[in-house]
Amino acid sequence: MSNSKISTKEAISIILSIIVAHTLVCLPRNIVTSTKSATLINLIYVGIIAILIVFLIIKLLKRFPSNDIIDISDYLGGPVFKKIIGVLFIGYFIFSSSILLRNFCECLKIVYYPMTSLVFIILTFIIAILITLNFSFKTSAKVNLLILPVVIFSVLFIFIANFRHFSIGNIFPILGDGIFNTFVTGIGNLSAFSGIVFIYFLPPYLEEPQKLKKISVTAIGIAIIYLILCVSIILLLFSSLLKADEILPLYSAAQYIEFGVFFQRLESIFLLIWMIQMACYFAITLHFTLHIFKKIANLSDSKPLIFPLGLLMFAVSFLPKNYAVSKFLEVEIYPYLVFGIGFFISISILILANMKKRKKKVEVQNNE
Amino acid sequence: MNKLLKTLFIIILIIVFLSAFSSSYTSLSIDHIASVVAMGIDVSDSNNLRVSFQFTNASSVSESGTTEQSPSSIYTIDASSISSAINLMNSYIGKELNLSHCKLISLSEELASKGISEVIYTLINESQVRPTTNIVITRCSAKFYLEKSKPLFENLLTKYYEVFANSSHYTGYTSNATLGDFFNSLVCNACEPYAILGGINSEKKESPTSINPEKDSSSMSSESSLSGQMGTENIGLAVFKDDYLVGELNSIETLSFLATRNDVNGFLVSIPDPQNQDSYIDIYLTPYRSTSTNVKIVNGSPYISLKYYFSGRIQSMKEDSNYLSSETLTTISNYCNSYLESIFNSYLYKTSKELNSDINGFGKIAKSNFITTKDFEDYNWLEKYKDSFFDVKVETSVKSGFLLSDT
Repeated sequence: MSNSKISTKEAISIILSIIVAHTLVCLPRNIVTSTKSATLINLIYVGIIAILIVFLIIKLLKRFPSNDIIDISDYLGGPVFKKIIGVLFIGYFIFSSSILLRNFCECLKIVYYPMTSLVFIILTFIIAILITLNFSFKTSAKVNLLILPVVIFSVLFIFIANFRHFSIGNIFPILGDGIFNTFVTGIGNLSAFSGIVFIYFLPPYLEEPQKLKKISVTAIGIAIIYLILCVSIILLLFSSLLKADEILPLYSAAQYIEFGVFFQRLESIFLLIWMIQMACYFAITLHFTLHIFKKIANLSDSKPLIFPLGLLMFAVSFLPKNYAVSKFLEVEIYPYLVFGIGFFISISILILANMKKRKKKVEVQNNE
Repeated sequence: MNKLLKTLFIIILIIVFLSAFSSSYTSLSIDHIASVVAMGIDVSDSNNLRVSFQFTNASSVSESGTTEQSPSSIYTIDASSISSAINLMNSYIGKELNLSHCKLISLSEELASKGISEVIYTLINESQVRPTTNIVITRCSAKFYLEKSKPLFENLLTKYYEVFANSSHYTGYTSNATLGDFFNSLVCNACEPYAILGGINSEKKESPTSINPEKDSSSMSSESSLSGQMGTENIGLAVFKDDYLVGELNSIETLSFLATRNDVNGFLVSIPDPQNQDSYIDIYLTPYRSTSTNVKIVNGSPYISLKYYFSGRIQSMKEDSNYLSSETLTTISNYCNSYLESIFNSYLYKTSKELNSDINGFGKIAKSNFITTKDFEDYNWLEKYKDSFFDVKVETSVKSGFLLSDT
C-alpha cells in the first residue's frame, strides 16, 4: 500500500472523477429534467446538503483514521457483515461503471463509429482499464489528476464559447415545477454528488489522512461549481431539452461552437479528452473494487482478479437489452443506488460503529 | 514461451481491433462518400417530398489558387421521407451521402406552409447534420434556388453558404437562422421559429417614379430591384407559427427583428431631411446599448415595453449641408426617433396581431412574471401573444457626418 499513497490533489481529483464522468453522458440533462427552470436554485440547495453530508461523514470517520468502510463494517458486525457490505459495494461499483460504459459507448457508436460493433468499442475501454489496473493506484490517480483539469477546462470553454447563444430567460419561472418539486423531490439530484462514495474508501490511501476533511470539502465545492457550469450550458442553451432528449448534451452544446469559418468542429477534440477521462474513471472504480475484493477475500495479491473483473464489467455492460434499458438503469435506478448504498447504508454503518466505539469506551471507563 | 504467447496474443488483438474499427473509418473515407453542400426540399407531385442534393467537387479547385469556381451539381429525387431520399441517392450515385459539410437547407414555401416539423426533427436526429446549418425558406422551388445559388466572390460554394448571412450584422436585412435555433424555437413554449427568406433574383422593369427610400427598405427576396450575376437574393425573414409558415418580413421588418434581439451591429435608415422636406438623408445607426425589454401581464394581456438606444452618423451629404449645428442634429435625432418608433411599432404589431408569432422570444422574458412552470403553461403565452400591447421608445443620438460635417 505504501507505494499507492496518494496526495491531496490526487484524492480531490478522484472524488471529482465520478461526478465529471457522469456529466459527460446524461447527468446534466437528468438534473434539468427533474427540476426544470429551478435547476440552478436546486443545485445550490442540494450542494449545501452535500457539504453537510460530507461534514457528517468526516465527523463519523474521525474515530476510524486510516480505515475504510469495509474495515469499519468488520469492526461493527464482524467478518460476515464485512463480506455483505463488501459485496454490496462491489455490486454498486461494477453496476454503475458498466452501465455508464455501455451508455457512453452507445453514444460513441452513434456519433463516430457507426459501422463498428458495440462489442469492440466497449472492449477497447476494457483493455485500457485492464492495462491500467496492472499499474499502481497512484499511477491511475496521477493520470486522472492530469486529465481532469483539461476536461473541466473543456466544459468551461463550451460555456464561454456558447455564451452568446444563451437565453437567460430559461431560468424562469424561478421555481420551476414549484417549491415541493424544487426542494423536496428535487433532493433526488443529490445523487449527482455520487463522488461522496469514494470518501469512504480514501483514508487508507491518503499520504495525509488528517486532510480528509479538506479533500472532501474542496472536492464537493468544486463539484458544485462544475455542476452549475454544466447545467447552465444545458439550461440556457437548449429550450428543447425538456421535450427532446439529446444523447450527449454537452457534446451537442459543443457542436454550436464556431469561431469564424476556420475553427469549427471542436467537439471532436473534446470527445477525445472525454474518452480518456472515462477510462480514468473506470480504472479508479475498478481499483476500489479490487481493493474491496482483496479485503473481503483476505487475499494478499489482487492482480489475478484483474482479468475476471474486466470480464465481469464487460458482461454487465451487455446485460441491458438496448440503449433504452441501459439509459433507464442509469437515469432511474442508479440514483436509488447512490441514496441506498452511498448515503443511507454507509452513513448508518458509520453511525452504528461510532455508537459501538463510544459504548466500548464507556465500558472501559466504567471497568477502570 | 509465455512471452511469445503474450506477444502473439497482443498482435492478434491489434489485428482484430484494426479490422473492427476500419469499417467505420472506411465508410468515412473520401473515396466512399459524397459530401452534400446544400439540400433543397420541395413538395412532390408523385411522392411526399422532392429532395435535391447539391454537391461540389472540391478536388477540382486548383491548389495553385486560380480563381476558377468549383463546379457543383444537383441531383433530385422523389421520396416519402428525407432518410428514404438519402438511401435512394446513395444507391444512385454509388457513394454514401455525407451531410457533415451541408451548410444550407432550403425548403420551399409550399412545403413550409404545410408544416415542417417532421423534416426538422429528422435533420436534428441525423448525427452528421450540424446545428449551425442555415435554414432558408425559398419563394421559388428549393431546387431552383440551389441551381441559382452561384457565389460571386468565393471559389467554393460551401464558403459562400457559410458567409452569405453575415451581411445581417451591418445591413439588418437578413438574419442568421440556423437549424439548431429553429429546432430550439420549435419545441420552446415561449417563442416561435423563423428562417431566412430566399428567392430568385430577376430583373424587374418599373415605371419611373419619384425618389422613395421606403421602397428600398420594404424590399424582400424575389421582389427587390436588384439585378446582377448573383442568381439568388436573401432578404427578409420567414415567420413560423409552430412548424407552419405564417408570414414573411421585408427588409425593414427584419431589421426591426434584429434590433429587438440585439443582433445587429449597424444599419442604414433614410429619413426626410429637416432642412428640405423633399429630400432624404441617410443615417448609419449603431446600437450603443442593448435594447431593454420588459414584459408585464396587465389585465391578462402582455404589455411589452421596449427601449432602443442608437447613436448615428449622417452618411449622405450634399451641397450646403450644415450638420455642425446642435439644433439640426437634435432635430434629425428626433426625426430618427419618430421614424424608428413607427417602424418598430408596425413590426411588433405585425408579429402580434397579424402573424401571432413570438419570434422575438418575449415569452422567455415574460416567464419572470410567473412563479412556476405550470402557471406559465396555463397562461398559454404563444396564444396570448396576439393580445400584446407595445410601448416602444427610441433614443437616438445623431453625432455628425463621417469625414464631412459641414459643406
